[in-house]
Amino acid sequence: MSAVLRTAGLSKRWGAFYANRDVSVAFEQGARHALIGPNGAGKTTFIDLLTGTVAPSAGRVYLDGDDITTLAPHRRVKRGIARTFQASTLFPSLTVLESVMLAVCEREGRGGAGWRALASETAASSEALAILDALHLGAESDSTTRTLAYGKQRLLEIALALATRPRMLLLDEPAAGIPAKESVEVLGAIARLPREVTVVFIEHDMDLVFRFAERITVLVAGSVLAEGAPDEIAADPRVREVYLGEIPQGEAPLA
Amino acid sequence: MHGDFIGVVFDGIAFGSLLFVIAVGLSVTLGLMNFVNLAHGSFAMLGGYVCVVLMSALRVPFLLTLPAAFVAAAAAGLVLERTLYRRLYHASPLDQVLFSIGVVFISIAGATYVFGSSQQPVRLPGYLQGQVRVAGHDFGVYRIFLVAVVALLTIALEYVIRRTRFGSLLRASVDHATAAAGLGIDVGRVFALAFALGSGLAGLGGGLAIDVLGLDPTFPLKYMVDFLLVVAVGGAGSVRGPLIAALILGVFDVAGKYYVPELGGFAVYALMIAMLLRFPLGLHGRLG
Repeated sequence: MSAVLRTAGLSKRWGAFYANRDVSVAFEQGARHALIGPNGAGKTTFIDLLTGTVAPSAGRVYLDGDDITTLAPHRRVKRGIARTFQASTLFPSLTVLESVMLAVCEREGRGGAGWRALASETAASSEALAILDALHLGAESDSTTRTLAYGKQRLLEIALALATRPRMLLLDEPAAGIPAKESVEVLGAIARLPREVTVVFIEHDMDLVFRFAERITVLVAGSVLAEGAPDEIAADPRVREVYLGEIPQGEAPLA
Repeated sequence: MHGDFIGVVFDGIAFGSLLFVIAVGLSVTLGLMNFVNLAHGSFAMLGGYVCVVLMSALRVPFLLTLPAAFVAAAAAGLVLERTLYRRLYHASPLDQVLFSIGVVFISIAGATYVFGSSQQPVRLPGYLQGQVRVAGHDFGVYRIFLVAVVALLTIALEYVIRRTRFGSLLRASVDHATAAAGLGIDVGRVFALAFALGSGLAGLGGGLAIDVLGLDPTFPLKYMVDFLLVVAVGGAGSVRGPLIAALILGVFDVAGKYYVPELGGFAVYALMIAMLLRFPLGLHGRLG
């Protein structure tokens, strides 16, 4: 197995505050890799650095061995890195279908000036509908995103990320705000993605983490505290200290 | 000039239509890039001079100079956006204001140097001159033409923004630029095209405005407050809001100056202040 995406000594500093400090992590092809850590550990900043939303103060990011540290965010998307945001409503003025179609059209390189009617992109609309159906959003395709229930907006975020057909999917708390039963469904759908897709997810719910992750990196105060398989992490006394016994004892991953 | 109430209202609508064409691009830059571009009127002035030069020096018919005004202003907007404006998207509003007022002064000095400080004469083609009498009221042919052009432009603009893929890209970029980039959208390119479109519309408006507002090098400064008012009252980032605001401003400005000339422009400013107090985000304003 080789690393699809890896970082070397990645740091982000705001004044005297290090949001990330010397983070070197490798994500293996096909991994189901969880990023955990207490609030303020720098997990979202790390995702921002990977996607190029935030520029690092030091260190490099490599995709397939190529240095992409200074590549613009939309170019990283074209190279197969997709993410979700911890934002409740992404595109309030677009319909659900429109927003997914835009992602499909961009992926297909229909950059152009785009003076044609969006509705005439029939191939894009049928693919977008298929993605929405797979996430049980088909019935909402014509709703404006601002009218969607919160849980459905999180599902739409995942649909948007999938529409870019990523090889590397970065999910920032995909299950936040979704009822427990649905969150298992959402993460199950993610876990069932083909192994060509490498999945990295931030998650606070330790049950979900230990159920779906096959590898876990623990960030504390911007640095990597521990990394390993779930059973190693669960047994790590330093991690147990941080989480005060939240981590299930001796539980094996299910998926 | 204004024979009666209906004539006054119609002149106001024509004036408001002009304000709308020029200011709608400002609504996009302010709403989309949060850029306080005081120099928007300079692009309108550029369009005006393009029309004058083409007509007087090259004998191009008036109607054909209008697309040229659009193209020239759009090209100027594109170049300035790529070279200067984009560097200030994340700057403070004060920096943006200082930069763009600098552009205004440079454009005024440049226009004075090239064209002199006098009003540019424009002679409309015969078929756009004169009055028509409908149901006992006189209407200026050119003002009817203005209203018709703006009505068509508004429909076209609504179509572009609501129905085309470019429109969806634009709305997605306005809603959440970072997330739009996350879909693979080149937000910088969308911004540049939107800026060019807005500048082009200003140029077109500048060409249309010569006969009504006049054209001299102080144009960008003289009407700056009107353009800003249209966007502030209408709501930055929308098309319909500025349209309504421009029509209200146009009608009340013309009517105020006609019926209560001693108040001058004050009546319309009082109205705009009242509207801003009632709708602080503008008629179609969005939060945030």
